[in-house]
Amino acid sequence: ITQSSAKKKCSALTGSARKIKDNAADWHNLLLRWEKLNDEGFKVAGRIVELRLMRSQRDELLLLDSTSAPAGSSSLQTGGPPELQDECCKLKDIVDKMASMVMKMQHLMASQQGVQDLEEFQFRAGGRRLPLFHSWDTKAFGDSSRALLESFTEELKLKQMIQEELAHTWSSDLCMVYMSCWLHQPFIPPDARLTLEALLLETGHRPL
Amino acid sequence: MSVRLLPVDPSDQGSQRCRMGPALMSALGLSLGSPLLISFPRGSCLCTAWPRTDLAEGFLQTDLKVSSPSLMSHPPTQLQMDHSKITPVTCSILRCVKTTVIVGSVEFKKRTPSRLIHELVKDMLKGLYVQTTFVVNLEDFDTDIKYVVIEDIKSDSVSGGLITSKTGLEIVGILTARYYNSQLQNQNMVPLGGLEEVSASLKEILQLPLLYPGTLTSLCVTCPRGVLLVGPPGVGKTQLIHKVTGEVGASLVVTRGPEVVGSRPGESEEKLRAVFERARFAAEEGPCVLFLDELDSLCPKRTSSSAPENRLVAQLLTLMDGVDQSDRFLVVGATNRPDSLDPALRRPGRFDREVIIGPPTVQQRKAILTVLCAGMPVCPSVDMAELAQQTTGYVGADLSALCREAAMNAIREDNKYLREQTIGMKHFQEALKVVLPSCLRGSLGRTELSPVSWEQIGGLDEVKFKLRQSVEWPMRYPEAFVRMGLHRPRGVLLYGPPGCAKTTLVRAVASSSHCAFLSVSGADLYSPYVGDSEKALAQLFHQARACAPSILFLDEIDSLISSRSSANGTNSAHTRLLSVLLNEMDGIGLKTVERRGAKVLQAEGVEEGHALEKMDHQEVCNKDVMVIAATNRPECLDSALLRPGRLDHIIYIPPPDQQARLCILKVCTESMPLGPDVCLEELVEKTELYSGADLQNLCKEAALLALQEENLEASALKHRYFVQALSRMRPSLTEQQINSYQKTPR
Amino acid sequence: MSSPALPLIHQALRKSFQRLESSQKVWASVLAECSPLIASVGNLAEQLRALSSLHLPSTPLNVFPDLEDRLRFKLLHAVDTALVRLNEQMCSLQSVRDSFSNQVSAVFQLYEQNRDSLDASTVMERSAMAPSICDMMGWLQDAEHHYRQQFVRRKALLQTLRADELSLLESSPKRWKSLESPSMEENITDALDKVSFFIEE
Repeated sequence: ITQSSAKKKCSALTGSARKIKDNAADWHNLLLRWEKLNDEGFKVAGRIVELRLMRSQRDELLLLDSTSAPAGSSSLQTGGPPELQDECCKLKDIVDKMASMVMKMQHLMASQQGVQDLEEFQFRAGGRRLPLFHSWDTKAFGDSSRALLESFTEELKLKQMIQEELAHTWSSDLCMVYMSCWLHQPFIPPDARLTLEALLLETGHRPL
Repeated sequence: MSVRLLPVDPSDQGSQRCRMGPALMSALGLSLGSPLLISFPRGSCLCTAWPRTDLAEGFLQTDLKVSSPSLMSHPPTQLQMDHSKITPVTCSILRCVKTTVIVGSVEFKKRTPSRLIHELVKDMLKGLYVQTTFVVNLEDFDTDIKYVVIEDIKSDSVSGGLITSKTGLEIVGILTARYYNSQLQNQNMVPLGGLEEVSASLKEILQLPLLYPGTLTSLCVTCPRGVLLVGPPGVGKTQLIHKVTGEVGASLVVTRGPEVVGSRPGESEEKLRAVFERARFAAEEGPCVLFLDELDSLCPKRTSSSAPENRLVAQLLTLMDGVDQSDRFLVVGATNRPDSLDPALRRPGRFDREVIIGPPTVQQRKAILTVLCAGMPVCPSVDMAELAQQTTGYVGADLSALCREAAMNAIREDNKYLREQTIGMKHFQEALKVVLPSCLRGSLGRTELSPVSWEQIGGLDEVKFKLRQSVEWPMRYPEAFVRMGLHRPRGVLLYGPPGCAKTTLVRAVASSSHCAFLSVSGADLYSPYVGDSEKALAQLFHQARACAPSILFLDEIDSLISSRSSANGTNSAHTRLLSVLLNEMDGIGLKTVERRGAKVLQAEGVEEGHALEKMDHQEVCNKDVMVIAATNRPECLDSALLRPGRLDHIIYIPPPDQQARLCILKVCTESMPLGPDVCLEELVEKTELYSGADLQNLCKEAALLALQEENLEASALKHRYFVQALSRMRPSLTEQQINSYQKTPR
Repeated sequence: MSSPALPLIHQALRKSFQRLESSQKVWASVLAECSPLIASVGNLAEQLRALSSLHLPSTPLNVFPDLEDRLRFKLLHAVDTALVRLNEQMCSLQSVRDSFSNQVSAVFQLYEQNRDSLDASTVMERSAMAPSICDMMGWLQDAEHHYRQQFVRRKALLQTLRADELSLLESSPKRWKSLESPSMEENITDALDKVSFFIEE
């Protein structure tokens, strides 16, 4: 295995450095796609809530019309109108896509771990003497990746729950919180973007 | 030359423009936008000259953006104004201006950084002409910054100046509008009559902790935190606190008890906390008094059950305990029912000072009347001292109602005669009939006392004299009693056969001694509920004391209280009533809160005040109530009632003798057209054992007979009708009955 | 009778109205940029309100124990960002106001210097082509006052907004909207219409 040095040009990277750099690019692309999916999903979720509220208002009117109408309530439970069903499917689709993205992230993480293990094997406990790129040691790449993966895994869980619950939620406050969660992605810390940028910077995707 | 004043055009609001005709502008030598001063009766305003858009002459519209404080609170109401009131002023560009900023809320003041306020105010003031002491109205900016007071324009040559972007701004203070307005209002406070002493003592209590907190801490004395004002309704508790806080210069946060109480659980507590919070904010600007009016409704005695009131009381206690020494605020509570307050409130550290305001004495009433009538066109013949004497038991609010009523009477009369409007004594006399003292309002024993003169009662001269001696004298000349070392009688018992004018005599004595008169008979006090009658009786005494000097007349006392040893002595209600009566008569029921008048009674006064002082003395001396009881069954009375110090004057009212009967008949027939043949002396002979009431009845019967016989056309009462009537009647008294009265009930 | 100062004044007035016209455009565009920001502030406040009024442990979201804190943090962060951007817009408004203000005071100063040579009839003379000097100066002053007032009001409103005062945040879009004074805007448009010939002269 050829030793790569920080002074080497990016195009001529090989081995661990090559792998790490490619991973960084993948992270970047995944995050971009995630954002896009998130926006799409937010729109769909918004429509679901809207339809939901429209229906509940209509049901209230129905309830007012005939105070004892068990027939009406039974139709409520057996799924919504096709429109609502449609939107729910779309949201499910989006969440599934997000899930597959998280899977990819796991792969990235695994390959990162692989590089790290390899390095440890090569250089023993002391690790590599010179940094692969500018200043980070190999472990730092793994740490950033792990942080990103953890937040997205958690965020995906939240999204999956929202996707399941949204169409069955009566409380408008809770709907609002679901929407709010979807949009603001509480498990992705504000410095996730920063972590990625640092990664890109270190690997030379962004000019120093 | 004069111009018509019109309200300012909406588009000019906040522009400091004064729109006038172009000719007027030229005549005054004003060019576009040059500053001018307009003087109104109440103040003046500074504005800039602009021609009207329609260039019409004869009108003036001025924006009061910059004006003197008095004008700010009272915009001009006049319609015409003279040219001479408009003067051009020379203004230079100001280098620096010193201001006080008035903001809408404490929150704004607290949370807005002073840098920002400075910035905003500077923006708002730009381009304005100002003058020292003037106020700039910034309400058109719609922010929490309401006014700016120009303290100093730092310009020695001219009276006014222009603020530009280069003018330096110095803010010397930030006050809330509430505080500022209260300061403005304090400058025109109405005086309160008759409360000088209470006001002085209250002021002292307020001033010490509020204005000199340092002194107290250096003496290691803790300041009082709460003051409780106690007094019957209408004596001016609320007014007093307003005035005193104004004089001390403290701001006032007022809450009425019922305002705080809400229906939702916890709502009342929340409101109460908010009130304290408000006071605390206000206290940050300067001394502050939190005034809880009608405290009794807020904090009734806690009961064992978990009533919502209990929580409210607990909350108030917590809040009062939480008042920090460093908080420059004082809690003042007012109540007219101190007994219904939770006792925990009156412990030290809470409402530890109590100021009692009683119903006003003669002198105080005179002071109140003088203040009230100061603004009224009162005829010089109206004697305030006399009026004060006639208004026993009236509190400040009653007196104010009285003056209003008198003024209304005068106006009603003026409508008829179109005379000069003055309020004369007769208007007051009329009003006295309509306006009754509020302490008697709703009272059990309140009676319409149509005055009865001694002359209206025939005969009984000896009894009359005795009554005057034992009732009228001590009421009217108590100092003579004091001089002779006499104890004035506490009560008088009139006994005698029924129908012999006992009640009428009491009315006569009440009207001649000029005092409040309460009258009850046994039936009034009767109640099927246990304890109710006793409470009513005690309440009656309480009211009688409140409007002392007063006469409390217990008619047919035997039905109320019979002897404990009598046959039906097991009647426990009677026994209890008796003990209440005895207690009250001995003065045990007298509460401290019923204290009246000045504490230092024998203060040396000036010569001319002597007569009034004497009256004051008189009122305070007989703070007790004169009890007059009447019965026709004296043997039924419990002997305890008749001991000295209670009903100690016992006057027998005998059935009328011959001479008395003649007098009675004369009085009764005074208004009747007697025939020439009527011989009253003969009737007297024939009416042995007839009581006064019988005789009155006789005359009535005779008159009716005359009408009956002569078909309603009778013009004179003939003797035979009397004789005829007499033959149909029977005397109501018997020899035996009269004899039974001969032995004195003692 | 015409004064030598008259053309000078007219020139200054012309320049001022041109400035007013451009200021109006900039002013409106800045406000247009503000409205989505303030709307999002209101929106975020609503989301915060919903979050506080819910008891999350009793909802399906209870599987995420730290969700509430995390979401609140994110929302508050977003509010802060919006407020910072709004304040940046205020600076643009301020510069529009200041430059117009300077222009107007220059006109008034010019008038002040020459007022002895300008008699009342000249100042108040209206013609078919141009409103009177007096009218135009009045309009300029009104417009200047309007900018100042608008700026102060909006600045004061933004100042009251704080991420921890939900009710104020929630009502902010409504209050922001209520600060508009369409009548004054209309007056300015009117004035600009009236001087259109005068400007082109």
